[in-house]
Amino acid sequence: MIRFKSIAVAVAAALVGSVFMVPAQAQDKEILVWADETRGPNLTKVVEGKNDWVAGYKIVIRTFSSFDALKTAVDNATDLTGPDIIVGANDWVATGAKNGKLAPITLSNAVKNRFTPNNLFDLSYKGNLYGVPLDINNVAMIYNTKLVKSAPKSFGDMVNYYLANKSKQKLVAGLCVAGGGMSWGAHSILSALGGNAYVLKNGKVVTSGNPVPAEFSANVKKFLLAKNGKSNGFLPASDAGCKDNFLAGKVPFAIIGNWEWKDYVFKGFKMNLMPVPGVKPGTYGNMFGSVSGAMLTSYAAKRGVEAGAKDVLTKFFASTEGAIRYQSVELRPPAEKGAQQADLTAAQIGFGKAGSLAGIPQIGAILNGTAGSSSYWDLLPAFWTAVLVDGKNPAAEAKKLNDFFKKNIEAGVKDL
Amino acid sequence: MNRLKIATLTKYILVAFAIAILSFLAQSAFAQGEVEIALFLAVSIIAIGITYLTKISIPLKFFLPGLLFLAAFALGPVLYTLGMSGFQFQTGNYISKDAAIERIKLLGVQPDENGTTFDVLVGRSDSGDFALLASDPFVTKQYFISTQERLTRLDPLDLTLDSDGLASEAPGFKAFSNRELREVDQTLTTIRFKYEEPFFLQLEGSDLAAVKRQKLEYLSDQDQFRNLLTGELYSDNGRGNYVSEANLDDILQPGWRSPIWFSHYIDLFSDPKVREPLVKVFIWTIIFAFLTVLTQFALGLLVALAMNRPIWGRRIYRSIFILPYAMPSIMSILIWGGMFDTEFGAINNLFNSDVAWFQNPNFARAAVIIVNLWLGFPYFYLVTSGALQAIPSELSEAAAIDGASGKQTFWKITLPLLLQVLSPLLVASFAFNFNNFNLIYLLTGGGPRNDLDGEIAGATDILISYTYRIAFGTNIQNLGLASAISVIIFIIVASISLYGIRKSKVLESFK
Amino acid sequence: MTKWIRENLWRHAVAITVVLFSLFPLYLVVISSINPTGSLQITSFIPREISSKNFRMLFNDPTIPYLTWMRNTLIIAGLVAVISVIIGASAAFAFSRLRFKGKRFGLQTLLLVQMFPAILAISALYVIMERVYNFAPYMGLGTQTGLILVYLGGAMGVNIWLLKGFVDSIPMELDEAAKVDGASPMQTYWLIFVPLAAPVLAVVALLSFIGTFNEFILARLFLVDMESRTIAVGLQGFIGGQYSQNWGPFAAGSIIASIPIVIIFLSLQRYIISGLTAGSVKG
Repeated sequence: MIRFKSIAVAVAAALVGSVFMVPAQAQDKEILVWADETRGPNLTKVVEGKNDWVAGYKIVIRTFSSFDALKTAVDNATDLTGPDIIVGANDWVATGAKNGKLAPITLSNAVKNRFTPNNLFDLSYKGNLYGVPLDINNVAMIYNTKLVKSAPKSFGDMVNYYLANKSKQKLVAGLCVAGGGMSWGAHSILSALGGNAYVLKNGKVVTSGNPVPAEFSANVKKFLLAKNGKSNGFLPASDAGCKDNFLAGKVPFAIIGNWEWKDYVFKGFKMNLMPVPGVKPGTYGNMFGSVSGAMLTSYAAKRGVEAGAKDVLTKFFASTEGAIRYQSVELRPPAEKGAQQADLTAAQIGFGKAGSLAGIPQIGAILNGTAGSSSYWDLLPAFWTAVLVDGKNPAAEAKKLNDFFKKNIEAGVKDL
Repeated sequence: MNRLKIATLTKYILVAFAIAILSFLAQSAFAQGEVEIALFLAVSIIAIGITYLTKISIPLKFFLPGLLFLAAFALGPVLYTLGMSGFQFQTGNYISKDAAIERIKLLGVQPDENGTTFDVLVGRSDSGDFALLASDPFVTKQYFISTQERLTRLDPLDLTLDSDGLASEAPGFKAFSNRELREVDQTLTTIRFKYEEPFFLQLEGSDLAAVKRQKLEYLSDQDQFRNLLTGELYSDNGRGNYVSEANLDDILQPGWRSPIWFSHYIDLFSDPKVREPLVKVFIWTIIFAFLTVLTQFALGLLVALAMNRPIWGRRIYRSIFILPYAMPSIMSILIWGGMFDTEFGAINNLFNSDVAWFQNPNFARAAVIIVNLWLGFPYFYLVTSGALQAIPSELSEAAAIDGASGKQTFWKITLPLLLQVLSPLLVASFAFNFNNFNLIYLLTGGGPRNDLDGEIAGATDILISYTYRIAFGTNIQNLGLASAISVIIFIIVASISLYGIRKSKVLESFK
Repeated sequence: MTKWIRENLWRHAVAITVVLFSLFPLYLVVISSINPTGSLQITSFIPREISSKNFRMLFNDPTIPYLTWMRNTLIIAGLVAVISVIIGASAAFAFSRLRFKGKRFGLQTLLLVQMFPAILAISALYVIMERVYNFAPYMGLGTQTGLILVYLGGAMGVNIWLLKGFVDSIPMELDEAAKVDGASPMQTYWLIFVPLAAPVLAVVALLSFIGTFNEFILARLFLVDMESRTIAVGLQGFIGGQYSQNWGPFAAGSIIASIPIVIIFLSLQRYIISGLTAGSVKG
């Protein structure tokens, strides 16, 4: 009896002890990723479905309540609590690098070839690449097929349509900016009429000449103003109410963003996306094709997971399978070429096509301005207000715009 | 007596509890190397002990906890802002100098012209050193083992290749398992593996190595960086950057936040482009705060007077008046912003006007005051009601007997008494609205502003929104300059309010 | 009859005008919340379409734990309100009643600290709380406890000024009587002053509650995890997106968020207003 009992105890002890004696499986190391309120939940869904992208490392996504909150957190992050990877806008790259928060990565040629040079340039600063492109953010113009029968061939076509049908169809405006705002989204209008924030030739920014030439103000006078110098109502100076009015059929043309196409499809609109046509048929207004990217931070190295983080970038974010899985939830046009071949919605294809026809990279170093000058983001809306609302002389205001742009280009190219 | 004993016992228990918690925290803080926090906690413990267990200072017993919280979370930011006003602290000059040097050294490598990379396996060589087994079956058709000391070329025939043509095994090399790889992650990324001089191999991830060469070298005795390819020297320019001596536009990034002492202040006083907007904004801030308090108080008082008699529906009226204060202010301000829209806004629609509210400076200012009136009058209604009821009715009865009319009673007796009771609240409200960032930022963003004419300050900008834009705006963020502006604002405001307090204290002593 | 008109008509006239003024924007908020397109631009006063989509989204969408947010907010704002009042009331009592060296200097310093435009406050507090997280992760960055501690930093400064006026107006005779009876200042404070000032303290607690309720700038930085966020952070998230702004749920959420505050106001109303007579003006 005693012997049986003692054997039982010994066996029990051995069993219990063996649990502790099995070499503890080393915990997976964590790669911490920060993302905003839309990308975060979508990335979490993808990662929950499959988290073995890099052996031995687990991807952990931290979702912030808003884009602004993420940006503030990134601005204040330090090595104590900072992330390993940040999913954010491409214009964070220059600031992040300058502030010492981002670390550069080198991609093999095989991986590099899966993205366009423009997209990689968007995430570079002074020759170093700081992240991998995720999705392309751009705007495109949509027209209401119930009002307008065929795609407009030139800017003048749109204005003529508006003036002819204004009272008949009770139109509130001709072309308004529903997505992207009067600086980012409206660059396509600026460009269609002949002006640009900067011009690129052979991939390099042109530093001579006038980004906003004299013909721009002539076009503004011709197409946006009536005979008495006041706005003819075609282009409103603010984006207030644009989306509602377009959906209600009161505006025939609208510039919309590729993050909100579902709202339009829901209301029955066709995704007949195109870049804003220019003054001469066959030309188009350039729009910013910015990418959002997954960027590597300098904190990853301090936490001893740099190699793992770099692997996550190449094996998850930049991989075709990762991009396909992510975009099937996020529904934006992917930057990765392999994913672009996959089954995409009409909107994703439409935006991609418009972008490839007339897209320019978004160069933060120039757009954000410099000391002693204003940023593009404030200048362009101020121009629309000055000319379309306050009735100021377009030639004079355009010249001021040009002078600021030139100053910003001059300072910005030094920082590229 | 028994109740006294219980009270004393409670006091001792609470004090002991507080000291115990704080000691534990202080110890953890010290263990983690947070010396300043540990010191602060230690000082707090001593202060709590002395204050509550002795009779040294009775007033201190009342406000020590508040004082400690104030010191930790309100004084801290003040001192930080004060300190940073003497630094070049902006985009591109953010981290410490040591961190900047470290990053420049890390960034000071350059890939070779072809951007050559190799697929690698990480492991150990026979001698036990870290080694890479590199394969490039397509471009250079090389296979080799590289350690920190030596590069050993291999013949592909000696190797086991996988389906992509990459070497998976080699003599004299043992690959790491995933677990071993994870453990050495930290050391691996800094190691340089041998390649053809002057290039070396650096690990990029766990299976890629890139060919690089050192471009910048740090000369610590001279505190300079030297470009190894061109011989150019970069030295500290005293304002937080290493700059090339030959070409002043050639700046090494990142920079660091360097102390520049009173440079910002001198700029502020000497540069008219910064000085003039500051004056304009300051004047508007005072007018804005004053008009806000005036209109809010006036309307609150009017409503309180109207509700002073139990009329029919008073309770319903009262419940409605409180609603503007109860609604989250972000929502209210944004809805008002929509209402003031020139084309589609409710106000222009209602009154059939087409006032460009937010494009015209004066209308924008009016809009700001109107919205603030809506947001704040319930608060004054509440406190004025209470104060009105506190005024004994004998006063107005006595005045009536003396032959005073209702209006005279109000202006000569009621109002002065109200002002006396409510004066601290009026001052507090003025101070609050002086820094009422939320309203201006959400409603007008400080505008209208003529950016094309180079205006930095908008028509409705108050000091704090103006400073905020300099610190965190769309242009480069200049935190050091913004801090300096804050300090100057503070000096001016503090002088004025100290003067005001002195004056009102004189009045109070007559009570 | 004419006396009634003279005395009461103007009261009703004032009340109705102000009621219209107060309610008009709120009416627009309600319209936005039942507008299915979810935009803020109201193109007509009578809504064309009505839908409860926005309200349903708040309660049914699993990515929007609205009720959790509400609970968090009530806890945080409630705790901050109660503790701030205790801190503020005791400080106001000390500054008003007790005589000590440096009283005026202390009062002035408090006002000055409160008025300092700490532009870098967010960065400074972030750094401090990060370090606290380093050794005490349960009360550092990202925790509700940490956020409460930060809010309490401003408690003394704000509340002293609100309370001092009322405290000053409580007759000194009460204190002197208590001293004659042998009471220490602490006893006078707890046994005489607090009961007397209770309605005023209730008002201050309510104001503090509303202030904390509305605060989102610090809260969104500190409370990142979905389960720990407050209403203000959640609401701001609807409109703080990179490009998208979701006005519908924002309006709906705001309406529901204001309900607890209105309830507290209404239930305390009579208590508050009648209780403000506690500080009687000397005749």
